[in-house]
Amino acid sequence: MAKDKETTTQSVGPKNPHAVGPKASKPKNFWKTVRRLASYMSVYIWGMVLVVILTILSSVFQVMTPAVLGQATTVIYKGFMTGVAQQKAGIQVDQFPIDFDKIKQIILIVFLMYIASAIFGFVQQFVMSRISQRTVYKLRRDLKAKMKRLPISYYDEHSNGDIMSRAINDMDNIAGTLQQSITQVVTSTVTFVGVLFMMFTISWQLTLIALATIPLSLIVIGFVAPASQKLFARQQKSLGLLNNQVEENYAGHVVVKSFNHERTALEKFDQENATLYKASWRAQMISGIIMPLMTLVNNLGYVFIAMFGGIQVANGGIALGNIQAFLQYMNQFSQPITQLANLANTIQATVASAERIFEVIDEPEMNNDPVDIPDIETDKKIILDHMDFGYADKPLLMEDYNLQVDPGEMVAIVGPTGAGKTTVINLLERFYDVKGGSIKLDGRDIRNMSREEVRQHYAMVLQDTWLFTGTIYDNLKYSNESASKEEILAAAKAAHVDSFVRQLPDGYDTVLNEEASNISQGQRQLITIARAFIADPEILILDEATSSVDTRTEVHIQHAMQRLLQNRTSFVVAHRLSTIRDADKIIVMNEGSIVETGNHEELMAKNGFYADLYNSQFAGNVAI
Amino acid sequence: MFKVVRGRLNIWQVVGSIMFMIVQVIASLYLPNITADIVNNGIAKGQTGYIVTAGMKMIFVSVLTVLASICNVFLASQASQGLGRNLRSDLFRKVLFFSHDEFDAFDTSSLTTRTTNDVMQIQNVIVMMLRMMIMAPILLVGAGFMAYQKNAAMTKIFIVVIPALVIVVGTVMYFAVPLFKAMQKKTDRLNLIFREGLTGVRVIRAFRQDDFEQNRFKGANDNYTNNAIKVYTIVAMMVPFITLIMSGTNIGITWLGSHYIANQSMQVGNLIAFMTYAMQILMSFMILSLIFVLIPRASASAARINEVLDKQSQIDTVAKPAKIKGEASLEFNDVNFRYLGAEKLALSNINFDMKKGQTLAIIGGTGSGKSTLINLIPRFYDSETGTVRINGTDVKALNTEDINHQVSLVPQEAVLFKGTIRSNMLYGRDDATDDDIWHALDIAQATEFVDDLDAKVEQGGDNFSGGQKQRLAIARALVKNASIYVFDDSFSALDFKTDLNLRTALKADPKINQSVVVIVGQRVSTVADADQILVLDNGKMVGLGTHQELKENNKTYQEIIESQIKGGK
Repeated sequence: MAKDKETTTQSVGPKNPHAVGPKASKPKNFWKTVRRLASYMSVYIWGMVLVVILTILSSVFQVMTPAVLGQATTVIYKGFMTGVAQQKAGIQVDQFPIDFDKIKQIILIVFLMYIASAIFGFVQQFVMSRISQRTVYKLRRDLKAKMKRLPISYYDEHSNGDIMSRAINDMDNIAGTLQQSITQVVTSTVTFVGVLFMMFTISWQLTLIALATIPLSLIVIGFVAPASQKLFARQQKSLGLLNNQVEENYAGHVVVKSFNHERTALEKFDQENATLYKASWRAQMISGIIMPLMTLVNNLGYVFIAMFGGIQVANGGIALGNIQAFLQYMNQFSQPITQLANLANTIQATVASAERIFEVIDEPEMNNDPVDIPDIETDKKIILDHMDFGYADKPLLMEDYNLQVDPGEMVAIVGPTGAGKTTVINLLERFYDVKGGSIKLDGRDIRNMSREEVRQHYAMVLQDTWLFTGTIYDNLKYSNESASKEEILAAAKAAHVDSFVRQLPDGYDTVLNEEASNISQGQRQLITIARAFIADPEILILDEATSSVDTRTEVHIQHAMQRLLQNRTSFVVAHRLSTIRDADKIIVMNEGSIVETGNHEELMAKNGFYADLYNSQFAGNVAI
Repeated sequence: MFKVVRGRLNIWQVVGSIMFMIVQVIASLYLPNITADIVNNGIAKGQTGYIVTAGMKMIFVSVLTVLASICNVFLASQASQGLGRNLRSDLFRKVLFFSHDEFDAFDTSSLTTRTTNDVMQIQNVIVMMLRMMIMAPILLVGAGFMAYQKNAAMTKIFIVVIPALVIVVGTVMYFAVPLFKAMQKKTDRLNLIFREGLTGVRVIRAFRQDDFEQNRFKGANDNYTNNAIKVYTIVAMMVPFITLIMSGTNIGITWLGSHYIANQSMQVGNLIAFMTYAMQILMSFMILSLIFVLIPRASASAARINEVLDKQSQIDTVAKPAKIKGEASLEFNDVNFRYLGAEKLALSNINFDMKKGQTLAIIGGTGSGKSTLINLIPRFYDSETGTVRINGTDVKALNTEDINHQVSLVPQEAVLFKGTIRSNMLYGRDDATDDDIWHALDIAQATEFVDDLDAKVEQGGDNFSGGQKQRLAIARALVKNASIYVFDDSFSALDFKTDLNLRTALKADPKINQSVVVIVGQRVSTVADADQILVLDNGKMVGLGTHQELKENNKTYQEIIESQIKGGK
């Protein structure tokens, strides 16, 4: 499952507020998804209102301060001009008559506004981080809860990588956007409108000059952004291809070397590497020139305002402080435009992410509708009664299949690799429901019980030795929470787990990590056997395959399996001749279907698929 | 960090981008100066003509700034991406030519991360450096100088402001960085539990532990969310504080400035210019503080990359390699082998001599040394004492490329490459015809699922089952014309019947008949019909002979039979 781990996206290039990233994927139904996401936040409606009000206030103060501070400059300038005039008039002036009281007053106001803006800004972020984190918390909780209600077929039809990417990347996108983007939209909009308003109040002529730069900005964004998106997409694609080559050739290092393919691999790599280089420096370049170009547009506006404004001040039409303020506004003017353009992209990507998560949440769930099949009195443990089965809409694999299993019997399931031996397990455990007929456990159709009730009767030991990240003790206890410590230790001893666990420095408190690099594969298998012991089930499902373990461990595993099988009804995916020969019933499978059923003698006498399979082990005319 | 960059970063591009950066900084520093002049000489004196000329000068300087910064971006992106390209290529080459010992020192996923993510980290830092970080000190010095020139006395405001800024940023980082690190851990835990829920879905449901899983996830989710809220609360404090410091600076400048103007020690226009310079100074401080975040991260990546690049190659190349000739044969003569730095011999006293047309089977438990033995044939490792001969020539006298032409290996784990069936088969021999390929697929029992040579093979062969991949890997090895074919436990993923058919077809093939076949197996049925069976136990050769001979007088072999036929006890 290693490949599922690399699902987190790699960030390419530095984060740059003006850079335009890869093109966002578009949501299918924007507003519907937004409404649904909003419904997750609806409990925080008052918090949201507060956030929006605070954001607006904070931005408004931020916008107003340059104008107020500009008044101070005007006062200084006025004093300065009076002083100069007095000097011209021949009056000796040591100190220009600047109105310091007025300035003090203005500065105090500005200072208070800044403080208020800072406090509002902080409170707004403080509240928003709680709202966004709690919202994502709920979303994550709901997605996880959904995982419990999805049928196994969903897991079989979707790759873990796909589900993980929704649970991680898409969730991260939403968290990030809720945290940042919503307030940014408000801030940018308020700033833009506010700045425009302030500019108008200072001088409508100068404002027109400022507005004239907007089309220029739009042209820059309009031309450069799509080009940049295209290049980023190309870079991303090339990077993906290159990373694939790296993974492939490293994973197949032995093969590459033993086939003398180092040079061809390098050649191919260098080719893709050169493509990546070309795409990525261009992407960097194009996204990098947006900022200087926007600055240029801004500076042009700035210059013209300085010029016209200056002339007006000189003519006495406008106060100097107002020009100072106006120039500061000019600097703030283009920022919200670029920011809003970027936000549009981010928000679109986020809604698409939310859509992918809701898609999972909306998947049909398992239902538990009872069927109209009456219970029967029987001493059979399991009855497969005229059973039909096939996956999803595919053709039926099993038709009208019948089998009766007495308590204590062992049923072997055999067949070549890929014959669909797990299908039988899927049906018994009710991971899938039959399409027709009935499976009866103690005479009762299993669809008339809850799935938990069915599974209470079973324990499984599979080839895939799944254990969770936790201590060995907790993993053992997993199958039966009410097991006492003595029972667990007894089971561990019976399954040959106790001896190696005691050699570990932390004993039963050893934490198994995900790759389980601290214990061997064979030891993992022994733990899964012990786990099944602790469940103490009536019916056992067992996959005998032991993959690459040393001879001693293998003997232990077989030994433990034997003990586990004693006095239990069992279904065994059999790989050992002894198991097959000793089985009370053998289900022979090929290409997904059951081809023969019977005991060893019956099947050999039939001289069919089973006999063929069995005899192939002794072919080569060597008697073993 | 420096070592990684040296020789891979185009110096001229770097120098060029720095030069243009300096031009850009000087030009942008000059702009407020012109604004000040407009106020001082134009507005205050009422000279409209001066304003227009100064305006023109500003436009010129703006255009110059943009041109310089475009040139800077152009060179910086080429330099940084070029560095990434060179670094990736060097790493890939190095790893590709690694011998087994060297490759084993790292694991595959770590090497992949080093070649991809770590290089990306370095590349990103270089972009930041060339485009922003270098600017910070230049801007700092330049703006400081200009501000000092405008009004020396007023620069004392920075004595208050800069420490305040440093303290705020430092304090926030001090508290936020450990929380950010913790957040990474908590994210990993959250993802881990979610992933385990997917991989273990059958076990979880079979043992009715869904609620346990939900609770486990809830714990991690609570933990993560609480930490995230803490982190963002701290970050939320930073922005208002910094804005406040910057705004405070402006207020301070206005207050102090008004007094200097009143004293006639400063002109009005210089007040506005000073404010701009002050903002530039504070900005460069902010950028500089970024270095403290980025550099440690990049140097960790650089260290990981250097570890790979510094690895020295072990197997010495043969000065005058001998040429392989003669009939196929494989001989081990008193071969002893020990892994690098190991105390115990991994193999001792291995002796056998196989002629063309013969099959050698090797059997033994895991850890008995089967794969180790196989690895000595293509000289993945060198024996400590004793000789391995291919077609009569000592492998130590041969270079690995020639050896690999003679030895065709199917490794334990089947590896396929992205492409088509054909491209994978041509990997064995690039001039193989379609007929050759079909023939090989036929022997490998792969024709039952392959009907088109152009069928796609996904990365890692993910669109095929384990058994199918194994058969394709066998076919690929058969496409190659070699003297020795080695199958390292390649048949265990196959069912008995396919295993048998494959071995029968292999025996019947005229090409294979002229070579030596080595089969490593776990099942007695797989090895039983070999000409010679070598029984390994704990690195020692405990038996060599036919199935009949071994069955009669070899204890280890009898035990193996016992365990497989009777199923334990």
